[in-house]
Amino acid sequence: MTLALGGPGLACSAMRLRRLAAGELLGEERSRTEEHLAGCARCQATAREIEAERRDLAEALPFEELAAGVAERLARPERRPLVLRALPLALAAGLAVAVAAPFLLRLTRPEDGTRVKGGASAVLFAQEGTAVRALAPGEPIPEGARLRLSLLPAGRRNAAAFLVDADGAALLYAGPALAGPLPDAFEWTGRGTGTLLVLLSDGPLDAEALGARLEREGAGAEPPPGAESIRIQLRRGRR
Amino acid sequence: MARLTVIEGGRAEAERPGPSPSAAAPGLLEDLYRRHAPAVYGRCRFLLRDPEAAKDATQDVFARALRALPEFRAAASPATWLMRIATHHCLNVLRAARAGWRDEVRRAADGRRTPGLEPDRRELVRALLGAVPEEAREAAVLYYVDEMTQAEIALATGHSLPTVRKRLRQFLAAARAALAEACPGLALPEGDEP
Repeated sequence: MTLALGGPGLACSAMRLRRLAAGELLGEERSRTEEHLAGCARCQATAREIEAERRDLAEALPFEELAAGVAERLARPERRPLVLRALPLALAAGLAVAVAAPFLLRLTRPEDGTRVKGGASAVLFAQEGTAVRALAPGEPIPEGARLRLSLLPAGRRNAAAFLVDADGAALLYAGPALAGPLPDAFEWTGRGTGTLLVLLSDGPLDAEALGARLEREGAGAEPPPGAESIRIQLRRGRR
Repeated sequence: MARLTVIEGGRAEAERPGPSPSAAAPGLLEDLYRRHAPAVYGRCRFLLRDPEAAKDATQDVFARALRALPEFRAAASPATWLMRIATHHCLNVLRAARAGWRDEVRRAADGRRTPGLEPDRRELVRALLGAVPEEAREAAVLYYVDEMTQAEIALATGHSLPTVRKRLRQFLAAARAALAEACPGLALPEGDEP
């Protein structure tokens, strides 16, 4: 018995159909491909597979999750010549939601200060005009910039994020530990310095009680038992 | 209370970036995702056979694309460029996992043992990848799965046409031997060399 492995036909090409689906084919090549597709059962089957891939992706890997994963990867050091290393950072500066070099902030257990669950991190993005970029550690916060926090919670179930400055503490988010950008952006209208405090926990976090404690004790307050914290220091100014 | 203004949902609608990849960078990843991520994720799932590994690989591929943005933008076909990166990446991931190819070939070829039922050609090619030389695998995926011509493969990979042809023949020779070993009685058609 013999088996066939296939390969390109005279006019059949899965890759050409992928290019058609991606909007890459133009003019005569597009017309020719569409005409062939209309009358070719083999290519119609391939086109159905391509459509099914779209549904699979939407279910398995939504954009926000992909963006968070890409951001994490771009933040990893790359073994490349020095001259090329700036490219990902320059690129990250322009991406809209979550692609950039995160602050790989260390996640520390408050009681002993050792690093745990090393994959967790937080990224602070700043949007000025239409450009969005990840802020480098210690980089001043421009006046009027829209800020958005993105989390990689490394398996923790619940998260709470606070902005703490000289005027007190404000709750930014409390709820499930989402991987990716938090739902709302914010503009910091305070002056001097501040701290973004992210608490991650497998148990529930009482945001109201935490907020009251941060109001009283500032950003250095001990996190609740079992919770882990990420701190991002803010200061006002321009680069 | 700390001083801040909450901007619900993040960016204002008027500032949402446009859909074109050539537009400002803010919309670039969203555009790449919409156009190319289904195919990249599909390729990663096809080769790796594991949804979680495929998600990781898809993110790796897009990070790689963004790092090599000038090269990506210069490609004659961004879709082909990304699929090649995805294929190459997954074949590297699979490099260490060749031991199970006999069972996979048997499973993929099983359909042929039932009269009237053809085995999935692409599944058979995928199963055979574990039994062929590394340098022949990428060309085999581009030829048999993506149905690219030898000239298109040469253009996409930067190899000469004779090299592409040589690698496809390498694949066929190894695939024939593997099939004979795993499924005696089944064979690929003779005289079907690319």
